[in-house]
Amino acid sequence: MKSFFTRDVLITAGVLGAAFLISLLLERQLDCSTSVPALFVLAVFLITLNTQGYGWGIVGSLISVLSINYAFTFPYFRFTFSAPENLISALVMLIVTVLTSTLTTKVKRQEKEKAESEKEKMRANLLRAISHDLRTPLTAIYGSCSAIMENYDRLSYSKQMQLLGEIRSDAQWLIRMVENLLSVTRIDDGQVRVIKTPIVLEELIDSVLLRFHKQYPQQKVDVNIPDEFLSIPMDAMLIEQVLMNLLENAVQHARGMNWLMIQVTLQKQQAIFDVLDNGAGIPREMLPHLFDGFPEKNKIPSDGKKRNMGIGLSVCASIIHAHGGTIKARNRPEGGADIRFVLDLEEKEHDQQ
Amino acid sequence: MTNNKFKILLIEDELNIHSFMQTILEAEGYQVLKATTGAQGKLIFRSHLPDLILLDLGLPDMDGTELIREIRSYSVTPILVLSARIQETDKVEALDLGANDYITKPFGTAELLARVRAALRSQRSFSGGSPQGGWKSQDLEIRYDQRRVFVHGQEVHLTQTEYNIVSLLALHSGKVMTYSAIITAIWGSSDNGSIKKLQVNMANIRKKLHSRPGENNIIYNELGVGYRMCEGSDWQLPEPGSQN
Repeated sequence: MKSFFTRDVLITAGVLGAAFLISLLLERQLDCSTSVPALFVLAVFLITLNTQGYGWGIVGSLISVLSINYAFTFPYFRFTFSAPENLISALVMLIVTVLTSTLTTKVKRQEKEKAESEKEKMRANLLRAISHDLRTPLTAIYGSCSAIMENYDRLSYSKQMQLLGEIRSDAQWLIRMVENLLSVTRIDDGQVRVIKTPIVLEELIDSVLLRFHKQYPQQKVDVNIPDEFLSIPMDAMLIEQVLMNLLENAVQHARGMNWLMIQVTLQKQQAIFDVLDNGAGIPREMLPHLFDGFPEKNKIPSDGKKRNMGIGLSVCASIIHAHGGTIKARNRPEGGADIRFVLDLEEKEHDQQ
Repeated sequence: MTNNKFKILLIEDELNIHSFMQTILEAEGYQVLKATTGAQGKLIFRSHLPDLILLDLGLPDMDGTELIREIRSYSVTPILVLSARIQETDKVEALDLGANDYITKPFGTAELLARVRAALRSQRSFSGGSPQGGWKSQDLEIRYDQRRVFVHGQEVHLTQTEYNIVSLLALHSGKVMTYSAIITAIWGSSDNGSIKKLQVNMANIRKKLHSRPGENNIIYNELGVGYRMCEGSDWQLPEPGSQN
């Protein structure tokens, strides 16, 4: 607030000062005092554009009127409020500048509102996509539970175990979904900067794979990381979630995939993470919009398994961006997808010893 | 050893979570005392003196960390914190305040019981001096008396510091040890570079124990918090000439 105030004072003073000097120059050197009011109108317009609210524009126009009266109308360098033509031109000038300043302020406010409503729209889309995604597993859980409770004596043991297993995996999926959402709201809403601590790369990968293998015990993941000790500043929980989402996406969406790899390479002061697979790759028309939220509903293939793709990847993107990194997707020439994200290695703090 | 006599106080406001945890714990033979608020928890703690407290951090009437602080002021009963994944900082704070361990929701039966066992074990006081006998898990064996370490029966050669870290973790096996707790125990004091020094030592230990990312089941990484040795059991050497 304070900084805005001083900034606006400086802008107002600077622009008016410049207008005054130029007017003075024009009048002295070229003797064309008629252009002076126009010049001041321009000055007020510039002030309104670059300051907060109406106030500065009106202050500017008042000062303009006074300075024109004082310096650029007869009698020079004296205030005169008796000459009617001076008064009229001053009044017109005042009205014009006030109108300009209200207009520009209005335009600025409208732009802000438009951005707000855009955000609101995105939020509504997200909410719709989520509710849709949540309903499926919840319905399945509810149904399976009812089935077991109402037919307890008639269902075979193995059938019961099967239903219970499905309940458990649906519940796990719901938990991961909610974790994703919590991370996004944590980053998007509160404007909370991610708190980075140096995390040892090998420990991060180990921890991710441990979690991953709990859910997909049969899926092997190759690891290719530098041999040297490497610690990267990050919010471990969030980056873990990014890797988890990427691995999970590969398992659920890369058709025909039987090879999956996490690779980390170093380049200059950056760590480049790749999650590679040899599946069907990403359809070309999806590539440009992969990370920006939620593909149009009619573009999602409707075979149940495809849920969560858009949300998972957009969560990844917001997490990586909040870390000041970049994320990209491409299809590998030899087949399959490669999702790559890059994090800075800058280790400024306690790196001695 | 049967654990029939262990009393566990479960302080958790969600009745659904209460219900399934109680089922798991009672199936294992523990006696479960229920409290749904912090105040009720304190009351039951004073009157029943349980062997272990399972504490949810988000209680309706008070902050869970507040309760840890209070109980720690007059009791050393182990406290196992139940936390959500998002509460990273709360976890560390709870450990610093004297909680013995934490378990992240959602957890499975096996995980819960392992933490409970580890927390109950920590209740047995570690007698001063160097530990006797040894310690053994599925993949790792330590002979405290000889300061030797074996992986799958093969001896590995650790430096002094590395051995000290591994044996410290084994002494508290199954339970998370925070970076600062390890650093204080190994080097006595800590400074800015200590965590990195510990992490580098751990990297060397992993290499020597042949732990590869994703295939490591000896020392688990609790990212940003500390390390946890897998579950194992102590064994005693029948010492010749000792009075037993």
